[in-house]
Amino acid sequence: MKKHIIPLIFLVILIIIPPFLSGYMLRILTAVVMFATLTEAINIIAGYAGYPAFGNVVFFGMGAYVTAILMNHGFGFYLTLIPSIVTAVLFAVVIGFPVLRLRGHYFAIASLGVNVAVMEIVNNLKIAGAAEGLTLPLKKGANPHVVYTYFYYLFLVVLVLSVIFTIWLEKNRFGFGLRAIRVDEDGALAMGINTPLYKTLAWSYSAVFTALVGSIYAYWISYIDPETVFDPIISVKMFVMMLIGGASTVYGPLIGAVLLELIAEVVWSKFVNIHGIVLGAIIILTVILIPKGFLDLFTGGFSWRRLVQNIKENMI
Amino acid sequence: MKELLRVENLNAGYGDMQVLWDISLEVKEGEIVALVGSNGAGKTTFFRAITGLIKPYSGKVIYQGREITGTPAEKTVSLGIAMAPEGRHLFAGMTVEENLLMGAFHRKDRENVKKDLEWVYKIFPVLKERKKQLAGDMSGGEQQMCAIGRALMSNPKLLLIDELSLGLAPVIVDVLINVVKDIRDMGKTVLIVEQDVQVALEIADRGYVIETGKITYHGEAQKLLEMDEIKQAYLGI
Repeated sequence: MKKHIIPLIFLVILIIIPPFLSGYMLRILTAVVMFATLTEAINIIAGYAGYPAFGNVVFFGMGAYVTAILMNHGFGFYLTLIPSIVTAVLFAVVIGFPVLRLRGHYFAIASLGVNVAVMEIVNNLKIAGAAEGLTLPLKKGANPHVVYTYFYYLFLVVLVLSVIFTIWLEKNRFGFGLRAIRVDEDGALAMGINTPLYKTLAWSYSAVFTALVGSIYAYWISYIDPETVFDPIISVKMFVMMLIGGASTVYGPLIGAVLLELIAEVVWSKFVNIHGIVLGAIIILTVILIPKGFLDLFTGGFSWRRLVQNIKENMI
Repeated sequence: MKELLRVENLNAGYGDMQVLWDISLEVKEGEIVALVGSNGAGKTTFFRAITGLIKPYSGKVIYQGREITGTPAEKTVSLGIAMAPEGRHLFAGMTVEENLLMGAFHRKDRENVKKDLEWVYKIFPVLKERKKQLAGDMSGGEQQMCAIGRALMSNPKLLLIDELSLGLAPVIVDVLINVVKDIRDMGKTVLIVEQDVQVALEIADRGYVIETGKITYHGEAQKLLEMDEIKQAYLGI
């Protein structure tokens, strides 16, 4: 319980803060919360189960498109959430069955391929507006700030759900099984863990949260096209945030999301021309200096010896 | 003695590459049986076939009078067949105790799991000393003990050990030989696969010799040790 106190304090701050923020700041905070949830979701499959799902953005895009298509056919926003989840989970199960047999880099490449394939299909799908994308009905509110606050809270609810799920996962048999799969899948199999089932479930849970975020994103931005919502860069971002914060921990992904999103914002405004280089350098330095992520730095304490050891071990 | 496991005319392999040819073998309750042979003879494939890690082409695996051919691994464990896999496959990032508990993954009887944990610690006192240590940081012999202990945690009737002595110092091998005998005396049945023929036939009651996927000799372990063909081929005397 003790380790959840600080996060709870942060949660209270997050709940009461919107009225005090400018529209710009609220938009950044919303993006941080959104990416924190996506990262927490990819953490289930890539962190705990150790399957580098580089194509996880496919669920984000699916959620976004299911909501967009249904809302264009007169459904209310909340009614689109269940179909969005169901679509993502079905897809995770059907595609997971063959793709989750691959391990390591092969799985990463295959999941990336699946993402690109789905993007191309949507690019040619009449009902999804093909390459032109879809416009969603605008959310109505007294003023823009009310509307932005509404979306901020929506994202925050999903974030809290995903964190609660991950806390449960850490303590549960299921989470234990996933850890075993990550460390040694053959060993896990020999222990009688139904590895295909566990991997598929892990990817499905990951898909649920990713699709929910996708749905809210579509309504928030109110215009989507295949190139943006199936953008592999979003997957990469989730991955990097997870690694920077600390993979297979409850709060690591959140720290990663905050750091990278805020850094990206600062870098983007100060170094418009070279922001890619600066971000890349930060990522490389993190992986070399603190490979277990920032959370480890907070909980494990800082020591020069470990820093030097990390440099020695991780230099190419 | 009652028969615990019977394998009839088992053919198995990977895709087009058949490894095992008409393997027949029998294990009675309370026995230690050894399957010996050199590298590449098909010993590990045999284990994979009976524990359901691969599907055999043909033949039957009968366990406690019930056919279990092709039953997937997660089910064979709950039937009471536990495996200490070759190369140990410990969970390196987990502590020794967590590794042992992973062996009881499918079990619902938590009270008995606790008792069995104490029991395993009694068999391997060194594991109790190191229960908070990460499994990957232990010596090879300790890791092998941890792997056997982990297999015992599933409360098996039949314990399969793949390569007991591989890469271990002779002193450690002697310790493990005694432990395997103790485990048998506690009522478990042991099927061991081993490339060190001397070691295997010393522990075992009966032995099977496998060469390029076929059983060439079988019989009482003592008699096998005395056979000229085996002496020449495996013992170098």
